[in-house]
Amino acid sequence: MIPITINGKQYDVPEGKTLLRVAQDLGITIPSLCDHPDLTPHGGCRLCDVEVKGLRNPIAACTLPVSANMEIMTETEDLQDARKTILELMLVNYHGPLSIENGKTNYFLKWCQQYNVDVQNKMRKEPKYKVDSDPNPFIRVDLNQCILCTRCIRACAEIQGRFVWGMANRGIENQIIAGSGVPLLQARCESCGACVDYCPTGALGHKPSFGAGSSEKKVQTTCSFCGVGCNFDLNVKNDQVIKITPNPNAPVNGKHLCVKGRYGYKFINHPDRLKQPMVREYLLQDGQKNSQEIGPWVEVDWDTALTIVAKKLIQIKHESDPDSIGLLTSAKCTNEENYLMNKLSRQVIGTHNIDHCARLCHSSTVSGLAMSFGSGAMSNTVQDIVDHAESIFIIGSNTTEQHPVIGSKIRQAIIRRKVKLIVADPRKIDIAEFSSIYLRHKAGTDVALINGLMHIILENNWQDQQYIDERCENFEEFKATLAGYSPEIVSSITGISVNDLIKTAEMMAAHKPMAVFWAMGITQHSTGVLNVLTLANLQMLLGNMGVPGGGVNPLRGQNNVQGACDMGGLPNVFPGYQTVTSQDFIDKFNLAWQTKSSSGKHDNELSIKPGLTSTEMIPMALDGKIRALYIMGENPLVTDPDVNHTRKCLQACDFIVLQEIFPSDTSAFADVLLPGVSFAEKDGTFTNTERRVQLVRQAITPKGSAKPDWEILSNLANKILNEEQREITGEFAGWDYKNASEIMEEIGALTPSYAGINYDRLNHGESLHWPVKDSQHPGTPILHIGSFTRGKGKFHPTEHIDPKEMPDEEFPLLLTTGRVLYHWHAGEMTRRSSDLLEVYPGAYIEVHPEDAIKYGIRQNQQITLNSRRGTTRGKALITDRVSPGLVFANFHFPGEQNTNNLTIAALDPVAKIPEYKVCAVKLVIE
Amino acid sequence: MNKLYNKYEKEILGILARYPAEGKRSAVMPLLFLAQRETGYVPTEALSNIAEITGISETDVASIMGFYTLFHAEPAGRYRIQICTDLPCALRGSESYLEQICEKLGVKEGETTADGLFTVEAVKCLAACHRAPMFQLQGDGEIKYYEDQNVEITMQIVEEIRHKVAAEQEA
Repeated sequence: MIPITINGKQYDVPEGKTLLRVAQDLGITIPSLCDHPDLTPHGGCRLCDVEVKGLRNPIAACTLPVSANMEIMTETEDLQDARKTILELMLVNYHGPLSIENGKTNYFLKWCQQYNVDVQNKMRKEPKYKVDSDPNPFIRVDLNQCILCTRCIRACAEIQGRFVWGMANRGIENQIIAGSGVPLLQARCESCGACVDYCPTGALGHKPSFGAGSSEKKVQTTCSFCGVGCNFDLNVKNDQVIKITPNPNAPVNGKHLCVKGRYGYKFINHPDRLKQPMVREYLLQDGQKNSQEIGPWVEVDWDTALTIVAKKLIQIKHESDPDSIGLLTSAKCTNEENYLMNKLSRQVIGTHNIDHCARLCHSSTVSGLAMSFGSGAMSNTVQDIVDHAESIFIIGSNTTEQHPVIGSKIRQAIIRRKVKLIVADPRKIDIAEFSSIYLRHKAGTDVALINGLMHIILENNWQDQQYIDERCENFEEFKATLAGYSPEIVSSITGISVNDLIKTAEMMAAHKPMAVFWAMGITQHSTGVLNVLTLANLQMLLGNMGVPGGGVNPLRGQNNVQGACDMGGLPNVFPGYQTVTSQDFIDKFNLAWQTKSSSGKHDNELSIKPGLTSTEMIPMALDGKIRALYIMGENPLVTDPDVNHTRKCLQACDFIVLQEIFPSDTSAFADVLLPGVSFAEKDGTFTNTERRVQLVRQAITPKGSAKPDWEILSNLANKILNEEQREITGEFAGWDYKNASEIMEEIGALTPSYAGINYDRLNHGESLHWPVKDSQHPGTPILHIGSFTRGKGKFHPTEHIDPKEMPDEEFPLLLTTGRVLYHWHAGEMTRRSSDLLEVYPGAYIEVHPEDAIKYGIRQNQQITLNSRRGTTRGKALITDRVSPGLVFANFHFPGEQNTNNLTIAALDPVAKIPEYKVCAVKLVIE
Repeated sequence: MNKLYNKYEKEILGILARYPAEGKRSAVMPLLFLAQRETGYVPTEALSNIAEITGISETDVASIMGFYTLFHAEPAGRYRIQICTDLPCALRGSESYLEQICEKLGVKEGETTADGLFTVEAVKCLAACHRAPMFQLQGDGEIKYYEDQNVEITMQIVEEIRHKVAAEQEA
């Protein structure tokens, strides 16, 4: 601490800060416009000029480091005069509103008011630039209100890492520009809205909420798009969400958001929302279903709908057996709701046939990491990696588009700390431009690539032998298999040069700790588990596990896919990964959920055999082994591989209940449609990709007669139990929940990793990463410190295997699939958010320029892809993001644009995940 | 790599060789100059080409270009008469000087004469305040300063250039 004097008063302040920051900490106001605590000091606006004793001229407080015995005056008459002049000079080019509007603080007008500047008379009389000059549907640009503070430029560069905004021209013509003076989207803008948030005037505004007025209340909640787990405030007016604003207390994202999180809220109030339960007409008549013509929908009340569902499920259960019923739970719903689905399946219906979309995304991660380490989740936190990693290896994750806020945090780490980035991906994804090394390996050659890198590491003795000896097992057996992966052989399999392989291995060894990130590029292969095991081997070999800045970091897709897995939404585990193959856990849950029939006998007799995966259940509907499906918030008709086959299976199913917020493609085959609610209309928790459990808070009332999904499930369970005359005898067998918090208490009592999580702690702002062993336990941000969950980390020998279907003469192109920034998965939400759809209105298929010439196709031309299983159509996007021979398509659009008409249902033998990432197609021009 | 690079590969490699490998951004100015040599302005496509060559953002290239009066985003006449109108020059009458030159040439500021020879531009400081009014003549790959000007002297210079061009054409 050093002594300084401000306005005649002495203070002891910390060294190393700027005077402006010190003054702000002390509660002393110094006006400023270009400064913001999140951004690099700029010293441009000169409004924060202060007088420092001994200096001839006033000096900017925002760039002045404090030093001992400094004597500062912040508000002299001279300074006030100077500030007034500065503001008046800014007004020369300013033409805008005179008062503060839209609830956004206009600091410029605030200081004008404070220093008695006559805005009306001093400002420019007519606008110089076009108002709302940019076509971007999210960002409203009015350069007439720009005071050239450069906060937008710095926010774009330093927060988002995109460098879209810049300053052009000179003198009075000075203005901000995007790219080379082109519209924002053309200048590679990702529409994150950070520049708007940091703009101190009205020059940049949020277009979707422009003119929406001020909110009546703000409710902090967790985003329902991806697994990053950003928090923000829902701004509510007249019981509607009018905008989303960042909340600085958000533990993962702080004030930063992405385009979907910030602007993708219009689906909440979309007219398509389901508001009333519906059943097919035949269910109200004779109950005879015509599988060719399912018949019209009839709106009914809740009691009628649930009675039909309860009776039908009981009937099928008795005619066949409980295992002829399958349940798909939802990674979009809360932990509480997923727990209840698991309980409905296992306790009420009596089957382990429960699964969800994790089967399609990270089942190979969960299986692989459980084999290597004993726990199948992300081991470190994003902030830990951003703060401590020396290098980052991204393989098979298009991070900036799929997990945009994590993507921008990685860019920040590279910009601020010069962290080394290695990217391996068959597509030259955006984050590759930040990489020190980019490896464009052939799709489906991940095992060979990583084995090759480990071969080089061992050859040079760069491994962490002490770590391996102390913490791991099976090293020698693993080492033996690497002999076959010489750089030359690996180069021929992967297409990466020997030189690049050596450089990469060297960089990994020289920059530790290294964090590995992956997503679907690793998991969605018929070798998904092998890919994951190989990455686990790499991290053990380098001693990167259980350390800050390292770890295995599978990025989970859905907002609550981690939680849906944690809550037993899988066929082989109860909540908290308590396996159904263990008699102890079977006994535990049989007792906890015990009910007694009128006959007097206990009727919970759960099987010790795992249930069916979703990729098994749906095909089994075709031969009648699965007769009923209860689907909550999933859309298999868009998301399953080879959807033409899925369609036949759903058509053949006797009875399908769909609990949804929209009439999705799958609803065409449903017999009952139960209207659930969006994340804005209910309470609960989501667990993000870092195992962080966060609150979801109700902000508005449910639409129409729709109900929170946990209420629907409770009502249904009670109906079935009543119909079956089962008496509640187990401690946790009942279904009379008053609120979501009560469900979490039950979860905590039965799930050791959630034992210490309750709404009290979360409401008090605690951010808890499971395992949280008891109510005092602080949670576990980093897994595997000291020892692995399974004791020793186990090396698994892995071998390269070709994908199931490779290009050939008839189908010469390799198709890989994925997502884009502006859409979310099956697209039910983002296709109903008009602004997102405006930017990305339909399916695009990425084709390399060489292939475009070969096939004679132009940019935006309609093209067709055929595979052995089906056809999809889209517009050609000619780009060298893909390599020659590779085409890429997204799966956000249904029907004839659906990429999953093409994909193959080749499954990983262990995880049963389909090989979405590789199949063979041919390109046809219309 | 890209159009500009393919066209001037040898020269571009020569320019890049003047700077350390990690300081390629320093080559922005000579590259901009190269890009506008043929047509007298830098086409938008060249901006992204230069961004790619130097590894900086297109925005940065555009910002640098916008700052300097030596770089042009738009096509113009064969010669640019660039008159400084910043404060010291204005105090020495550059504003009315500009007005009169425009009148004599029959154009407005920023416009080009009908024969396509001259574009008159008001520009920011050219660092010759003590000899204002002054202008900078750009054209034929050269930059020349003409200081202590008045309308008569300037118009003589204009006429000389017209004669030179006419003679060229006859030849």
